[in-house]
Amino acid sequence: MHGFSYDDIHDEIVLPQQFGQAILTFAGGADGEVAPIRKIQGSKTRLEAPDRVTSDPVNNEIYAPEGDRILVYDRMANGDVAPIRSLEGPDVGRGLDAVAIDPVNNLLIVAAGGGGGRADTETRFLVWDRTASGNVKPKMSIKGPRSMGGPFTIYPPRKLIFATNRPADDSLAGGVSYLGVWSYEKSSEAAPLWTIGGPNGIFQMPRGVALDVKNKSIIASDKRLNSVLTFRVPELF
Amino acid sequence: MSRARRAWRNSRLLRLFIVASLFTAATQLVLSRETGLIHKEAPQSKAIGSDRLVSMEKLPDMGEYCETPTANTAAGHEQVLTAALEQRQEGRASSLAARAAGPAGVDTQDRSKMKPIRWIRDPYAAFSSIAVDPINNEVVMTDENLFQILVYDRMENTPRTAKLSEPKRIIAGLNTKIEFQCGLYIDPKDGSIYAVNNDTVDSLVIFDRQAKGDVKPNRELNTPHGTFGIAVDEGAQEMYLTLQHDAAMVVFRKYAEPNESPLRLLQGDKTGLADPHGVALDIKDKWVFISNFGSVSSRHPREAGARARRGIQKENWPLERAQAIPGSGRSLPPSIIVHNMNDHGDVPPLRKIEGPKTQLDWATGLAVDEPHGELYVANDMGDSILVFNVTDNGDVAPKRVIKGPKTTLKNPTGLWVDSKNNELWVANFMNHSATAYPLGVSGDVAPLRTIRSGPTSEPSLGIGNPHPLAYDSKREQILVPN
Repeated sequence: MHGFSYDDIHDEIVLPQQFGQAILTFAGGADGEVAPIRKIQGSKTRLEAPDRVTSDPVNNEIYAPEGDRILVYDRMANGDVAPIRSLEGPDVGRGLDAVAIDPVNNLLIVAAGGGGGRADTETRFLVWDRTASGNVKPKMSIKGPRSMGGPFTIYPPRKLIFATNRPADDSLAGGVSYLGVWSYEKSSEAAPLWTIGGPNGIFQMPRGVALDVKNKSIIASDKRLNSVLTFRVPELF
Repeated sequence: MSRARRAWRNSRLLRLFIVASLFTAATQLVLSRETGLIHKEAPQSKAIGSDRLVSMEKLPDMGEYCETPTANTAAGHEQVLTAALEQRQEGRASSLAARAAGPAGVDTQDRSKMKPIRWIRDPYAAFSSIAVDPINNEVVMTDENLFQILVYDRMENTPRTAKLSEPKRIIAGLNTKIEFQCGLYIDPKDGSIYAVNNDTVDSLVIFDRQAKGDVKPNRELNTPHGTFGIAVDEGAQEMYLTLQHDAAMVVFRKYAEPNESPLRLLQGDKTGLADPHGVALDIKDKWVFISNFGSVSSRHPREAGARARRGIQKENWPLERAQAIPGSGRSLPPSIIVHNMNDHGDVPPLRKIEGPKTQLDWATGLAVDEPHGELYVANDMGDSILVFNVTDNGDVAPKRVIKGPKTTLKNPTGLWVDSKNNELWVANFMNHSATAYPLGVSGDVAPLRTIRSGPTSEPSLGIGNPHPLAYDSKREQILVPN
């Protein structure tokens, strides 16, 4: 699993099952061996290898990036159901790895390329209107990390993207690792606004990022450290 | 930093250094005289007492590190207030700078040396797979938490009061290419260690028996992605590897070159493979047993000329996720399937153990006791070991179950049948232990011996390849899938 969501409005956990081509929704307090309360799976779903999903609790939708397309489902979908829309085509592009939804500014932010340590591309954050459908060009493009380590997250009030950078080769760890912060106010080729915990810092192979807004903290995982680290950065909130 | 604070810190550091030096010297004396840990003979596994030094590791240079003053004294109270005020002012200045900064053409705010305020990490080994070297009387474990291979004396038994047992040898470090290992095999002739990397490193690494430290593998084999279990047919000199991601099993020559193709491939809807994990061989009957978690999708043939995603095109290379048929995913019940060892392609299993009577619940490691015609199953989520006849089929109850508080089994993921010594060894992923039982036992029985990698009081965190995270703001909890 490479990306999932906690839906704080409905108190649900939404996660992908890549091998079984499914999206599972569990109660927020689920503990132990409990069945999902909803499961999207079947021939109508178009799911191919979902390993990252994102929920939009405000607009009641679930997003599944599948490389060359973004599939969008109704949050309450259950069973063998088709997506309610998709974003795909030559103007959309390929390598669509991870998604974040900004319900405040009504935007869809997609990380493309560079995922999984690919050395041949660098990550770009592509921005569409939230409800974009079909073959639509992104309205913004922001240069991201050289090789994104895992799923990213956003802070809509300040239009900030939080993502990690990992070594772009086959290294198991590396000094280029860091947690970065970018703006999605407008298209940009600039360096990250902030670098935290690296380069040449504590991170060895950082992965995913989450925000604890109440405590003004950033939480990140690191594969090589096999651990979870919390940084308090009140200036960013 | 003010002069007064620097002097205060330096004096504290000096005292700390003196205390640490005395402690280190005293500890070395204790270790050398009382436990024999420091001696000239061949190292043996040793139990480490509750307050003894286990190891020392130099911290990486993380920049200036200010000690946190305590507020127990008047001076300390002042230090705390000063530090808090400075932090507040620094934070305010940084906040203003960040707010003034535009999205492009600005200097990056460099917090590369920032340290986390919290760090969730298990400092002790989490045993994931296990194998016995009966010739050299050693038991070997892989550690999915700290990325190590640990070698202990087979008769090691951590005393109840000890913190842990020190291994005879440890293989670990970036040169070893060890990461999230889940399968293990010991060559019965020369004691070579075959260790399978799972999701993050697509290679099988092989070490000589005496390897230790941060050494390169003596041999490597580039494997398909998501390799989990390993079993070896010494007679035919062939290795069987299960592949989670592609719902497949490949068979390589035991001494395959790094880029060699598999000899055979088992993959397809008819095979019964569905997120396969453990694999074991019944050489006498020419059967291969494979445990499945149950999630799977179908594949379409690779287009002519298309390259495999994970590397160069090879014969008998599995169809990968790029060949997954959209919408073909299924969630099947957990199962153990039985194939002929020479099966190849998309062929159905001979038998399938599956159903509610089986108690299968994330069946992971497998081992066959050939003399007794029994199949042992590490039943991860059941906290149990299930035993079936090798001829069982369908929805059958296990003939024996090892389970209960006396067993100390906790999320067993690996096991090994030691036919020479009539013992069953189990790797318990979630309580820092490996446990040995007599073959043939049943019910709630205490282990013969236990090797612990950490104190019984310390919880196992179970973190294994953390990737995405989420924050549950209602419960103020961090969600960490593996």
